[in-house]
Amino acid sequence: MRNAFMQAIFDACERREDLMILSGDAGLGVFDDFQKRHPDRFLNLGVAEQNMVSFAAGLSLAGFKPILYNIIPVLMYRGYEQIRNDICYQKLPVILAGIGSGLTYAPQGMTHYSLEDIGLGQTLPNLTILSPMDPLEAKMSAGYAMEAGTPVYVRLPKRGEPTFHERDFFDISKPQILRPGSEIAILFHGSIAEEVFRAHEELVRAGIHPMIISLPMVQPLDPETLLEILQGVKTVICVEEHYENCGLGNILARFHAKYEPGWRLETMGVPHRFIHEVLDTRGMREYCGLSSSHISAAVRSRVGGKRLPLRLENRLQAQENMGG
Amino acid sequence: MAERSGSPHVGSCLSCVDILVSLYFGILRLDPWSQRDVFILSKGHAAMALYSTLALKGFFQADFLKGYYQNKGTLPAHLDRFTGRGVEVSAGSLGHGFNMGLGMAYGFKKKKSGRRVFALIGDGESQEGSIWEGALFAPKMGLDNFTGIIDCNNLQGYGRPKEVCAYEPIREKWQAFGWKTLEVDGHSHTDLIAALKEGNQGKPKMIIARTVKGKGVSFMEDQLIWHYYLVTEEHRSRALNELQ
Repeated sequence: MRNAFMQAIFDACERREDLMILSGDAGLGVFDDFQKRHPDRFLNLGVAEQNMVSFAAGLSLAGFKPILYNIIPVLMYRGYEQIRNDICYQKLPVILAGIGSGLTYAPQGMTHYSLEDIGLGQTLPNLTILSPMDPLEAKMSAGYAMEAGTPVYVRLPKRGEPTFHERDFFDISKPQILRPGSEIAILFHGSIAEEVFRAHEELVRAGIHPMIISLPMVQPLDPETLLEILQGVKTVICVEEHYENCGLGNILARFHAKYEPGWRLETMGVPHRFIHEVLDTRGMREYCGLSSSHISAAVRSRVGGKRLPLRLENRLQAQENMGG
Repeated sequence: MAERSGSPHVGSCLSCVDILVSLYFGILRLDPWSQRDVFILSKGHAAMALYSTLALKGFFQADFLKGYYQNKGTLPAHLDRFTGRGVEVSAGSLGHGFNMGLGMAYGFKKKKSGRRVFALIGDGESQEGSIWEGALFAPKMGLDNFTGIIDCNNLQGYGRPKEVCAYEPIREKWQAFGWKTLEVDGHSHTDLIAALKEGNQGKPKMIIARTVKGKGVSFMEDQLIWHYYLVTEEHRSRALNELQ
């Protein structure tokens, strides 16, 4: 996804003079060819993330469109106040490209996981948050961000993820129906796609057909389209590789309180704890209750109007996992 | 302004107002507007000094100043670039404006536009890590269109910089980072203008302006309390008598 996103930026650099790529000493190998071709369009601003964000704001004020590339924790957490004051408060069309979303960097350790970035993004007016789930959505996100006149944060996993979209062109600002269904809808964003589609395959084999919807534009939400798509659905299960208390699930809970739609909302995310266990990404998803089997179990528990207390079940399991 | 609004930082404004006057009336090229030099008040808490200078320079009517720091007013105590013409960046949190200025200077150089950037930082502000991040990068980028000025009034919010940290020798620090440095009396317009006009010799320039907090008002000069103290009617009339 990272490569699809950056390739779209590189391609645009061929016809746009205003794009400038800034890296905070990250992305070894990603920019090699680009740098050879356009040495004047790339800057490594080193291990100095606060300077990098303010510097980008200055470049934007001077008429350039900067793309900041870094791993999410140092981009969004270290530079938060600079993003707030210099980029969002000043409403500058800077692109923040964050790599290593959710648990995709496991087992690098907690310092490198990105489980609260959407939570921080939610605190920032003027900021659009895009969390693509496959290389095509990543490419479309790059296109959207490059055209936007306001700040955009794109939350990217790593590289090598499969493509799930079958069509090439779509509106990235809208929820994307990827598999049809009626009673139950799985709403998700970003890198958890693999688990969601694996769960979907399992369920289809068992004759259960949940609707699969990706929501790449997490902020701002498009309420009309969402209400329309979910009309007639009984249960919406939100799945994300992010802390459960401050991600899309939290956004949807507010949405639910405001619009009082006819469906019930369940949220599945990473329990709000620091993670000390050493596990790879798939092991981590299993541990956090976000594997494909957890997702399919969640759907099964809702089929045919059965009323298992899913949220409670998830919480108890997570507490057990994490020694709580 | 300070008395009417009941806002703090009058001492911080008086220490830098000579620097602003030197810049706006002796250095900055503001015409044509699209090719203007940019001044950034990185120590955004001295906004009153900037607003007054901008009003004097004709950016807005003096009446506009009456809405400073008022309910339903016009101008906030820290800079918001959407509130007044000539306010180039939003600033108030320290260690932001300086680095935005570096980005602008780089952008102007890339566009081969000849536009210059001047940024004023405080001596307290110089303790921000972001300042030193920028200090490391600017010489490497050849930002000879960038000039920083430190308003060294030797008093920050809660003491003297040298008591708070290993602040001095500040000029040698910037020099060691590869900047062209100059040290001047920050209340002498002649010295300031000479230093601002001096060539950058291919480097970014940092002017250490030695100033006095509360300059021009005997009971405010070099007094820590005037970072935050509010101006009463009595203070105002005594101060204006002295300044006139």
